[in-house]
Amino acid sequence: MKCEWIRESIVLHVYGELADDARHELEQHVSRCADCAAELKAEQDFHAVLMQDRAADPTPNLLASSRMRLQEALETAQQGAWWHRLAFEPANWLRQVRFSPALASAILILGFAGGIGTSYKFLGPRTTSTTVTDQHPAQALNDASITGIESVTQQPGTNQISIKYNTVSTEEAQGPLNDQRIQQLLLYAARNNYNSGVRMDSVGLMTQNPSDTHFRDALMYALQYDSNPGVRFKALDALGPYVKADTRVRDSLLQALVNDSNPGVRTEALRMLEPVKADGSVRGVLMTLSAKDSSQYIRSQARTLLAQLPEID
Amino acid sequence: MPADAWAVSLAIGERAHSKHKSERVDRVSDQDPQQGRMAGLVSQQDRRIDDTMLIREAQRGNRGAFEELVRHYDHAVLRLALHLTGSEHDAQDVYQDAFLKAYKNIGNFRFECSFYTWIYRIVTNLCLDHLRKKNVRKEDAPVAKDSSGGEYDLLDQVPDVRAGANPERDLMRRQLGAKIAGALDKLTPRERMVFELKHYHGLKLRTVGEILQTTEETAKNTLFRATQKLRGALADMR
Repeated sequence: MKCEWIRESIVLHVYGELADDARHELEQHVSRCADCAAELKAEQDFHAVLMQDRAADPTPNLLASSRMRLQEALETAQQGAWWHRLAFEPANWLRQVRFSPALASAILILGFAGGIGTSYKFLGPRTTSTTVTDQHPAQALNDASITGIESVTQQPGTNQISIKYNTVSTEEAQGPLNDQRIQQLLLYAARNNYNSGVRMDSVGLMTQNPSDTHFRDALMYALQYDSNPGVRFKALDALGPYVKADTRVRDSLLQALVNDSNPGVRTEALRMLEPVKADGSVRGVLMTLSAKDSSQYIRSQARTLLAQLPEID
Repeated sequence: MPADAWAVSLAIGERAHSKHKSERVDRVSDQDPQQGRMAGLVSQQDRRIDDTMLIREAQRGNRGAFEELVRHYDHAVLRLALHLTGSEHDAQDVYQDAFLKAYKNIGNFRFECSFYTWIYRIVTNLCLDHLRKKNVRKEDAPVAKDSSGGEYDLLDQVPDVRAGANPERDLMRRQLGAKIAGALDKLTPRERMVFELKHYHGLKLRTVGEILQTTEETAKNTLFRATQKLRGALADMR
């Protein structure tokens, strides 16, 4: 019966989900049918009552603490590597097989692949570590052969740096900062290590020589993308002195000032930008910050810096 | 570099400066200064380009890119989890589980749906699990009962001391909220989920269908059933 269809459509209508032609039909019907007109009114009234109940916004505290918890968990979480994709989750696959029997044969094949795939997991970097002094100093390392960096240390009082890294076994490279292998390993460690301590150590060593272009790139990368604010801060401090000479450094400091989640990093970035406050783009950012930034300290600091600038006509 | 163009590269990210990236999708926005915005105010078009690049980067293992991606969605995710679970603690757990799951599985994301749908799917499934567990544990939950046998939330008794608050209106709103929450409890998890996404978060039923991996038609029928049940449960309300 028509009225039954109308009743169902009324709810959709009230939520704005009715297609235009259906809506037209409903309006036509309701103008002729008193029962359905009453039902429409009742549903609209009910909807109005329900609309008074709103979902609360999470407090800024809740959001911030959730983000921090997540960041910490991400430090130790491992992304599924290619071999994880071969291993299958039984529950998911069973559900799919129920509805598409054609998958049954696919499962058999994938089951084999999964079995073979998981065996690769055990050949990971967790073999017994043997410290072997590098015997081919002239040979550059192949990035793909490195599976992880264990530690980065500088021998106190010397310029010797010692890095333990894993290929299939654990090896150790020793040398001064200008050694190519050491530099390669430091760059790798800064980006790829899950342990923020190792990342911080390698960034710390890079700060001894930020004029090296690779190191400077790595420092800018760390400033933008590292999840640990301590590492970002270290990178920031190393880059600071180059803000006048290198526009890329200036831009990456501006990026940190605007985007960084840590107020300490932002404040330090603002401080480091002082020598270039007269630059057009820096000035633009300072003006926006002085008006709109959520941190009162940043707003007032930005205003102070702007006040020191000569007026432009 | 003029301030506008610089702001564009800010919004898209430091891609222009890195030697290692091969994507050049950002050039489209780069050439149109009107698209430029300060970070946080990206337009819809930029947001989609932005997300695609971030996803690709995250798939390559770039944790910073993943975290940036998280920031685009996490407020909405937290709001959904908070309202559905009714507890800040549970909401945080759902948030954590959802984004960790996303991180672990982002390699499997093949762009066959939008990232928005994908992340909502993960969160919704976790919420459904929560609802199902809650249904099982309902008898054990300690709940205060007032003299007429109805349940009430102890927190409702805390007076609102914010300046300018209208105590009577707030009390009525809280009572309404409590009654609705009681009625929502009577829905099945799926009905609750569809109603939640449509009524409290304004999603279109077509999207709701995609998220729950069903048809729009099914979502419509579910919404109808949910509202009928709610009307029945709240029939004494005026």
